[in-house]
Amino acid sequence: MHAFLVWLESTAFSVWVRESPSLLAYPAILSCHTIGMGVVAGINGAIGLRILGVGPGVPIAEMKRFIPIMWFGFWLNAASGVALLVAYPTKALTNPMFYLKLGLVALALVLLRSIAARIFHENVLEAPSAARGVKVLAAASLASWAGVITSGRLLAYTYTHLLSNSR
Amino acid sequence: MAGFQVWLVRALASVKPVAHVLRTHWGWPTAESLHFIGLSLLVGCIGLFDLRLLGVGKRIPIAALHKLIPWGLLGFGINLVTGLSFLMTEPDQYIYNPSFHFKLLFIVVAGLNASIFYITLYRRTIAPGAPADAPRAAKIVAATSLSLWIGVIVCGRMLTFFRPGPCGPEGPGLLAECIPRRLGR
Repeated sequence: MHAFLVWLESTAFSVWVRESPSLLAYPAILSCHTIGMGVVAGINGAIGLRILGVGPGVPIAEMKRFIPIMWFGFWLNAASGVALLVAYPTKALTNPMFYLKLGLVALALVLLRSIAARIFHENVLEAPSAARGVKVLAAASLASWAGVITSGRLLAYTYTHLLSNSR
Repeated sequence: MAGFQVWLVRALASVKPVAHVLRTHWGWPTAESLHFIGLSLLVGCIGLFDLRLLGVGKRIPIAALHKLIPWGLLGFGINLVTGLSFLMTEPDQYIYNPSFHFKLLFIVVAGLNASIFYITLYRRTIAPGAPADAPRAAKIVAATSLSLWIGVIVCGRMLTFFRPGPCGPEGPGLLAECIPRRLGR
């Protein structure tokens, strides 16, 4: 594992992201990651709020029109996230908070999948008991995205090793 | 203006209790997490409304989707409060930072842009029986809003890379983009 981290940190791409003085390197990638965060957590959040009762006049199934934009944000963040990970692999991979963040992303995606199956394919909100089930999922989704954001932010404060050769 | 900035840094730094909380172990990270959650709420609600004006999800009545806006404003409020707490803790890192100047400028223009929408376009855009396709002027406002908020996010992230250092021998110009030692006393 250590040898792999040493190698990864020595690759040209890793060095470029980490050390280039260009604003197109680390700063631009970090900006993309933040814009993508707003899009992904924001659209999921808006869908969650709608399910919980905000904007009752919005036809809930029509919220699916925003899902492709949500996936654009998601893949923007997957790509920028990998670039940030390649820049500082040791910093992330030696920090339990990083695995918590990935776990919460996975949980939020599973929740989105079951929410989508309920609101985009059948009109469950007309049956009160089913509606309660979707509301629980929506609340859990909001909490998971807040958790993803918080654990992501804490990565800057909780790491123990910045690079493979540092303590 | 540079004198005003020095005064402002002193005034912000004089609010001790906020800085005291932010300097605790969890203070700054907690405020930052809230700032990012507020950002997502703002983008998710205001940005979604902008997308609807631009033509995404045309079967959603614009007036109905507008009910999300107060939640976007809540996100803005969270960010105003947490943002002010950062300012009161490390004022010179923001007041002399060119990236912060642009961030504030974009926020003010976004506010003016939204005011233009509410003064001139809101009623005919959300009126009952209004066409599903928003007026062209509303689309321009929406595209402007999206661009400005993206600009605000980028400037926010760039703050770290434009941290002000001490001023050179020529001192600060009209607008200080470095920490003025002489004026600071």
